[in-house]
Amino acid sequence: MTWNYSKKTTDLFMAAVQGKPGTHLGEIEDADGFGEHGSMACGDALRFTFRTDRNTDDPLKDRITEARYLTFGCTSAIAASEALCCLIEEGNFTPVEALKITNQDIVNYLEGLPQAKIHCSVMGAEALEAAVFNWAQKRGVDLTLLGIDISREEQEEGRLVCTCFGLTEPYIERKIEELELKTIADITNAIKAGGACMACHHTPGGLQDILTKVWGKQPTAFKELPVLPMAREVRAQPPREMSPFKFAKLVETVLDEHVRPQLATDGGDLDIVDIKDQVVYVGMKGACADCAGSTRTIKMMVEQALKDHVDERIRVVQV
Amino acid sequence: MAVIYLDNNATTQVAPEVVEAITPFLVGEYFNPSSMYEAARGPADAVVAARKTVARLLGQARPSEILFTSCATESNNTAVFGTIAANPERRHIVTTAVEHPAIFEVSKDLERRGFEVDFIPVDTQGRLDIGEFVRALRPDTLLVSVMHANNETGVIFPVDELSRITKETDPSIVFHTDATQSVGKLPIDLRGSFKHVDLLSFSGHKLHAPKGIGALYIHRGTRCRPFLLGGHQEDGRRGGTENVAFIAGIARALELATESHDEDVARITALRNRLQEELVARIPYLEVNGGDAPRLDNTLNIACHFIEGEGILFQLSEHGICASSGSACTSGSLEPSHVLRAMNVPFSAVHGSVRFSLSRYTLDAEIDTVIEVFPEIVASLRRLSPYWDTGRDAPTPEAREMLEQTEMPQSPA
Repeated sequence: MTWNYSKKTTDLFMAAVQGKPGTHLGEIEDADGFGEHGSMACGDALRFTFRTDRNTDDPLKDRITEARYLTFGCTSAIAASEALCCLIEEGNFTPVEALKITNQDIVNYLEGLPQAKIHCSVMGAEALEAAVFNWAQKRGVDLTLLGIDISREEQEEGRLVCTCFGLTEPYIERKIEELELKTIADITNAIKAGGACMACHHTPGGLQDILTKVWGKQPTAFKELPVLPMAREVRAQPPREMSPFKFAKLVETVLDEHVRPQLATDGGDLDIVDIKDQVVYVGMKGACADCAGSTRTIKMMVEQALKDHVDERIRVVQV
Repeated sequence: MAVIYLDNNATTQVAPEVVEAITPFLVGEYFNPSSMYEAARGPADAVVAARKTVARLLGQARPSEILFTSCATESNNTAVFGTIAANPERRHIVTTAVEHPAIFEVSKDLERRGFEVDFIPVDTQGRLDIGEFVRALRPDTLLVSVMHANNETGVIFPVDELSRITKETDPSIVFHTDATQSVGKLPIDLRGSFKHVDLLSFSGHKLHAPKGIGALYIHRGTRCRPFLLGGHQEDGRRGGTENVAFIAGIARALELATESHDEDVARITALRNRLQEELVARIPYLEVNGGDAPRLDNTLNIACHFIEGEGILFQLSEHGICASSGSACTSGSLEPSHVLRAMNVPFSAVHGSVRFSLSRYTLDAEIDTVIEVFPEIVASLRRLSPYWDTGRDAPTPEAREMLEQTEMPQSPA
């Protein structure tokens, strides 16, 4: 699918990769707020830092003066990071005020994002939350006193639902409510949950169950799957006189005594790759492996030795 | 801006000669080849001639062994579902971990329906583990399906050897190969080295014919039920009015590929190798995926550590360069390429993979342009990456530790 980005998105991305003045690439050293979201394994990651103008009397009056990001991710992830920094610097916010920036504000700033890329804007909002939380810890501000609960513990403590992206039930449930996600596709687009192996879609306690829990049961239409012919039971094999272990041992012994010494004189050797009933798979090694002309001869020699000494039904397949 | 098209494993430009071969059946001879009147003779003859040509160019197969379909995906589905329907007493399938979705997803689906499927793993270069393959064959194995050349990395599997081993184990196991990427690029000899192959799929649009035409070789005597019912066409093996124009097109395209095969290969190989050597020399932390395995001459799959492929493609596109990526952001799924995952490409690089695939229409100057712009694109994204230290032009110490990790760690998002 080709790109469906707004001009604003592509302009911000190109400005960022070209390092144009006014872009926010980088990391602030000794930042007042530091937040990360995502990981390399998940395919996108954002490190967001900001500096504040500290108010000596009241930390709540600190104002964010500078915001920077480093982003591993796609075009829209990078553009969303730029948008986040622009929004914050333009707003002249205190960290607590900055929390009001939602992923929708980032989408609006970008003049829209394709549905499948909404998670890029969510990543920005999450990194911002983490950075404000970090700031609050550093400045001794108790955010819960302000009625703000952005502790990260819920993510670690809840039941893991999406194992691919490491997302838990409380987190998914909160995001379903916050972002008004109505379908599994909505969830995947916004927070990536269920976007990889898809195993968590319809399992008990999976995404559909969480959606049902939040929004109530929705009418569903079942699609009939075509029915394939049923396989019958495999016929039982006739019993073999020798145990597979004894058979294999004997093959190995005969190779050691009758075949390997002959091959060794030419600098060659062979390996048993597998034995299935009376079919013995051998791989040539050393000089034998490269000698195309002799493979047929060797195969026949091996086969004859095994027929003579182990079982006359043996066939050799060269691997 | 001129387009520099380096995505020929996705689809190809239709050759002018092919357009010429197709046109009469679009603008004049529109008649149904099944009709009785004289006017329908032209289209009917064209289908017969095309079938002969395709059979001949795949190593003197019989024309009756060639089935025309709508695409390689249909050919693959026909091969798998047709074989299953014809052999209900067996329930085990052997395939590989790196097949195209037209086999991979079908196999996954069969697994859910109670069939047993073994996905043979590959090594870090994308080579098949032949020992694992041998050990996977069972008395109840119904079908072996192994692709000839991989669409993402170009790595070639030894289909001749694998089909021989399969048939020497049990002649009633059906051997299928998806040769979509190799027909027209590698010689295929269905009476020689591929004589043990029962079913072979390919499509036209990978070899300069239009999209919407494919073919399936069914070795005479192979038990395979029709997939599309509803007509006597193709000897009752595939219902549906023949796509006369494109059938003529796929035959002409195969002719062209065969005619110029040797010189095309020499030129394309030289271009691909130059591209690879220059990029490897100019960009640190670059992997060539499948670089040590036998590979298609037209394919270069590279992985750039610590950046994401979609941003690379976007910037390439700004220069008019068309390429692909196995990154999650470009796949529709949020998961990176299953092929690169199966090869254990470190996850620091798997998201930054880019595939260039050349064709006989690729020009020297186009490769020059890529060599010129690509290193700067990689550098620009690394400057933005939290895992790259631009000052030292090297990964950050934290990122360096991840270099060897191939398992996806379970991290809270």
